[in-house]
Amino acid sequence: MPESYFSELFKSNTTYFINAALMTFGLWKIFGKCRIDRKLAFIPFWRIYRFAKAADAEDTGLTWLFLQVLTILLSPLSVKLSSASEEGTFFLLYAALMLLLSFAFIIYQIRIYSAICKLFGKRKLWIIGWLLFNWITALIWGFSEKYKPLYIVGSPAEAAPLSGIEEEASDAGLTVNLNKRTAWSGMKKVTLLRDIHFTLKPGRMVLLLGGSGAGKTTLINAVIGYEKADAKVMLNGCDVYKDYDSLKYDIALVPQQDLIRLDDTVVKTLTDAAVLRLPEYVKHRELTARVDEVLNIFGLDNLKNTEVSKLSGGQRKRVSIAMEYISNPDLFVLDEPDSGLDGVLARDLMTRLNGIARQGKIVIVITHSPDRVLDLFDDVMVLAKDADKTGRLVFFGTVEEAKKFFETDKIENVVRMINRSSEGGEGRADELIEKFMEVSHAGV
Amino acid sequence: MQEYKEIRRGHIKQTPIYLGKFFRMFIYKNDWLVLPMAALIAVIVSTVAGEYMFLNMEGTMLGSMALTCVCLWNGCFNSIQAVCRERDIVKREHRSGMHIFSYISAHMIYQAALCLAQTVITIVVCSQFGMHFPTGGFITPFFRVDIAITMFLITYAADMMSLMISCIVRNTTSAMTVMPLVLIVQLVFSGIMFSVGDAPYTKLTIAKWGMRCLCTQADYNSLPMITVWNQLCKFADYDVNGVKPIGELVKYISENGLRDDLMAETGAAQAVAEYAHTQNNIVLCWLCLLGFIVVFAFLAMLFLKRVDKDKR
Repeated sequence: MPESYFSELFKSNTTYFINAALMTFGLWKIFGKCRIDRKLAFIPFWRIYRFAKAADAEDTGLTWLFLQVLTILLSPLSVKLSSASEEGTFFLLYAALMLLLSFAFIIYQIRIYSAICKLFGKRKLWIIGWLLFNWITALIWGFSEKYKPLYIVGSPAEAAPLSGIEEEASDAGLTVNLNKRTAWSGMKKVTLLRDIHFTLKPGRMVLLLGGSGAGKTTLINAVIGYEKADAKVMLNGCDVYKDYDSLKYDIALVPQQDLIRLDDTVVKTLTDAAVLRLPEYVKHRELTARVDEVLNIFGLDNLKNTEVSKLSGGQRKRVSIAMEYISNPDLFVLDEPDSGLDGVLARDLMTRLNGIARQGKIVIVITHSPDRVLDLFDDVMVLAKDADKTGRLVFFGTVEEAKKFFETDKIENVVRMINRSSEGGEGRADELIEKFMEVSHAGV
Repeated sequence: MQEYKEIRRGHIKQTPIYLGKFFRMFIYKNDWLVLPMAALIAVIVSTVAGEYMFLNMEGTMLGSMALTCVCLWNGCFNSIQAVCRERDIVKREHRSGMHIFSYISAHMIYQAALCLAQTVITIVVCSQFGMHFPTGGFITPFFRVDIAITMFLITYAADMMSLMISCIVRNTTSAMTVMPLVLIVQLVFSGIMFSVGDAPYTKLTIAKWGMRCLCTQADYNSLPMITVWNQLCKFADYDVNGVKPIGELVKYISENGLRDDLMAETGAAQAVAEYAHTQNNIVLCWLCLLGFIVVFAFLAMLFLKRVDKDKR
C-alpha cells in the first residue's frame, strides 16, 4: 500500500521531484564553494537559511524560515475552513493572512537572493533566475567556474582571546569595565561588544575610531548609561548605571544628526534646553547669562535671533553641541560632529571642543576624518569587529603611541587595517587585538 | 564627591516649554492652515447636507453623519504627524530629561485649543451656509453651545486617537498609511453608514457615540419623515385598471390637511431608541467621548515612553 502511494505521488509530481533533485545537486556544489557543509543542501528550507547566512544575511534567512514554517503550519486550516460554509468570514480572514504571508515570503526570498548575488559579485538580474528557475540557476552557479564567492563569511579564523584586564575606578575621570553588551537581532542573541576596559582622565580629548559596525555608537550608549551593558561605568567616583537619573545631566551626547526643531531661533532653542537641563533653583537671570556664555563659546552670538532652519550645516552642528553643553557636563560625547563639514569648519569645531576639554572635561569624539585635526586629540581609542563579529578594543593610548603601535603616520589607515576583507580592509583586527593585549600586559 | 541631587523642573513645569514650542510652530510652520481648511470643509458639507438638518429625519441623519465625518477628519489630521515627525528629537530630549507626560500634556492642551477653534469655525460657517440650528439648548440654555460641546468632543477624541497613532508609528509615511485605514474602520464599524446590527464593537468607535449624540440633540425621533410622502407623490399617476389609487390617496391627504400628520406618523414609526431625546442620553455620549479622550491620551504616553527603544 505505501509503495503504491509513493509511486503515485512521484508520478503525479514528477517534474517537481526532478527540479528539487537538480536544485539540491546545484546547491551541493555551491555549498562546496562557500565552504558550507554540503550535507545541508539536502535539508529543505534549512539550506536556504544556511545559504543566506553564508551571504551575510542571517537575519533575513531566519525570518524567511519562520515565514516558511508558519505557512506550512497554517496550511491544513484551509481545508477545514473552506469546507465549513458557515465559517466564510474566517476563511476570508485566513485567505488575507495567507496572502500577506505570501507577499512577505517573496520579499524575503528576493532579499536573500540579492545578498547571494552580492556574495558572488553578480548582477541583481540573477534574482529573477533564482525566483523562477531556481534549479537551472543553482546548476549554473554550482558547476560554472565563473561563479565563485568573493569572500567567505564566518571564516574559521578564531577570535582573539579575552584580555582579563580590569581597570581600577578612580575618583576623577571615567572608568569603563565592559564585559559584554548583547542584543537581540531577530530571533538570535548577538554579542555586540566584549572585553573593553579603559580609564579616561579629566581634561582629555579622546578620538574614538573604528570601521562601520564596529560598535562605536553602541559603546558610547553603554558608557553614558543609555543602553545598559554587562559593565561597570564610573564617572568621578559615581556609578553611571546606578545613579543614571541624577548623573544624566553631567553626561552629554551630541548625536550624529542635528536633531533640533528648525522653526525656533537659536536663542530660544538654547533657552529651552537650559530650562530642561539646568536645576530648578537657577534663576532666570543666571539662566540667560549661561545661554549668552554658551552662545559666545560656540561663536553663535551674531546668530542668536536667526531661525535654526536658516543656519548652515556647521552652524547647526554648533547649536546642537551648544544644547548639550549648556548644562556644563563632565563627560561630553560627540558622534561624528564633523560629518559634512569642510576642513576649516571641522578644525574650528574641534578647536572649540579641545577648549572644552582643557576646562577639565572629558571629550570623546567619533570621527572618520581624524588626520586633519589629529593634533587636537590627546588619546586614541580603536574598536574593531573580531572574527566573531563582536566589537573589541584594538587600541587605547596617546596619539603618538597609536602611530607607533599601528606603524603608520596616518590614523585613517588604521580603519583599513582592522576592517575585514569583505569590507575592503586587511582583516587584521584579531591580530592587532592580541598585540594590544600583549602590550597592555607588558605595561601592567 | 560632587552632590548630584539637584532638582530639575518637574512634569508640570516642563509643560509650558513645549506648549510654547507648539504655538510657535502654529504661527511659523503653517500649522494654522488647519483652521481655514476646517472652514472650507464646513462650507462644502453645509452646502451639500445642511439644508434639511434639524428639519426632518432624513436631513438630520445625513447632516449628523456629515458633521461627524467632518469632526473625525479634522481631529485625525490635526495630530497624525504631530509626534512622529519629530520622533528623533523627542528621543534626544527624553534622554536629556524631558518628561513624556509634559510633552503629551502640552500636545493635549495645544490640540484642545485647535479643536475648539475648528468647532467654533464649523458652527459659524454652518450657520451662515443654510443650516437651521434650533434656538433652545437641552443641557445649556443655547443649542449652539450644546452642539459645540459635542462636536468639540468628537474632534478632540479623534485628535487624541491620531496622537496615539502618531506615538506608535516611527515616521510620517507610516502615519499617513495607517490614517485612512483608521478612518474607514471608524466609519464602517460605527454603523453610521452601513448597517452592522447591534455588534458590540460599534460601541468602541468615536463615530458611533458622536452620531448618537448629534441625533439625540437634534431630537431626531420627533422630526417628520418625508420619504414616504415623497414616494407617494412620485407614484401618484400609477394606474391600476384605469384607477389611480395612490393619486387619490395623495389628493385625500392633501385636501384634508393630513400631510404633516402622515410625516409625523411615519417618522414616529422610524424612531430609534438610542436617539431618545433625554439629558441622560446626551451626558452618556459625552462621557463616552471623554472616556475615549482619556484612554487615547494615556495610551499615547505609554507608547511614547518606548521611544528610548527605537533603533538608530
